[in-house]
Amino acid sequence: MKDLLRIKSLISTEIEALLNQQVKKEALSSSIYLSMASWCNRNGYDFSSDYFFKQAEEERVHQLKFYKYILDMGGNAISPEVTGIKQEYNSFREVFEEALDQEISVTQSIKNIYARCMKEQDFVTMEFLNWFLKEQREEEYKARRALELFEVIGEEGTGRWQIDKNVGQITYNSEA
Amino acid sequence: MITTITTTTHWTDVFKTSAGAIYQCDAERCWYVDFAGKVAKFDYRCLLKLRKAVYHIDIEQTLLNTTKDPDVEIIFICACDHCYVLSLLQIIALKELLEGTFVMLELNHILHERLCSIAS
Ligand SMILES: [Fe+2]
Ligand SMILES: [Fe+2]
Repeated sequence: MKDLLRIKSLISTEIEALLNQQVKKEALSSSIYLSMASWCNRNGYDFSSDYFFKQAEEERVHQLKFYKYILDMGGNAISPEVTGIKQEYNSFREVFEEALDQEISVTQSIKNIYARCMKEQDFVTMEFLNWFLKEQREEEYKARRALELFEVIGEEGTGRWQIDKNVGQITYNSEA
Repeated sequence: MITTITTTTHWTDVFKTSAGAIYQCDAERCWYVDFAGKVAKFDYRCLLKLRKAVYHIDIEQTLLNTTKDPDVEIIFICACDHCYVLSLLQIIALKELLEGTFVMLELNHILHERLCSIAS
């Protein structure tokens, strides 16, 4: 008897489901960043607003990467429903705290998919995920650096204005 | 909708229960589902859709449902020619049949993988 499942798709149903979950997570990240961009803009933090606009676009690119991979492997990519995006924040700092939380949860879920791939010996998907693992290093670094600015600059006086200006300059360039 | 079988292609038993059976046809790369009085042909996409549709039915919820609606589920699969109108007992039987089938297909996949790794 032919292995028809394998002929039709390179990835298993479980991996496909996990990747679709990740598509949704990236879409959620994108929407969250977009909402943060709006909040920052409304409150006068224009550099941070630009920063979050860029992040939102990046997350959209991540979403499409997963989406196309599922299709290329013969799977069924599901366009996600994204609801319940928080629109208001209590403080400038809270925005960045939640941005870091979001990145940490994304890293965790990519690690979970990786673990499942190892169990199934799905080396093809593992190799695909390597790019994302490296990307998360940068994402978490930038989110942590932004929060660090609140500590080193301080929020008093013109602190927030300074922090906002510096958020726009955050870059990660590690050769490692 | 009953598919009349005219070809004499070889079918392999994948899984059988007292309620029905699922066969695989290698030549046509499809499966034949013998259930509820008909034999229906499913390709890869449609079989997955059928599984999803059946697994999605909340059997417990339907049992607890005290409204007067008849306990009948209609399984309609988008872009598939088949449609099932099944009682709750039939749903349970179909679910069992599909679960067994996918376990066997998975097992077949594992065997193929092992054979490949030995051969190389
Ligand atoms: Fe991302
Ligand atoms: Fe991110």
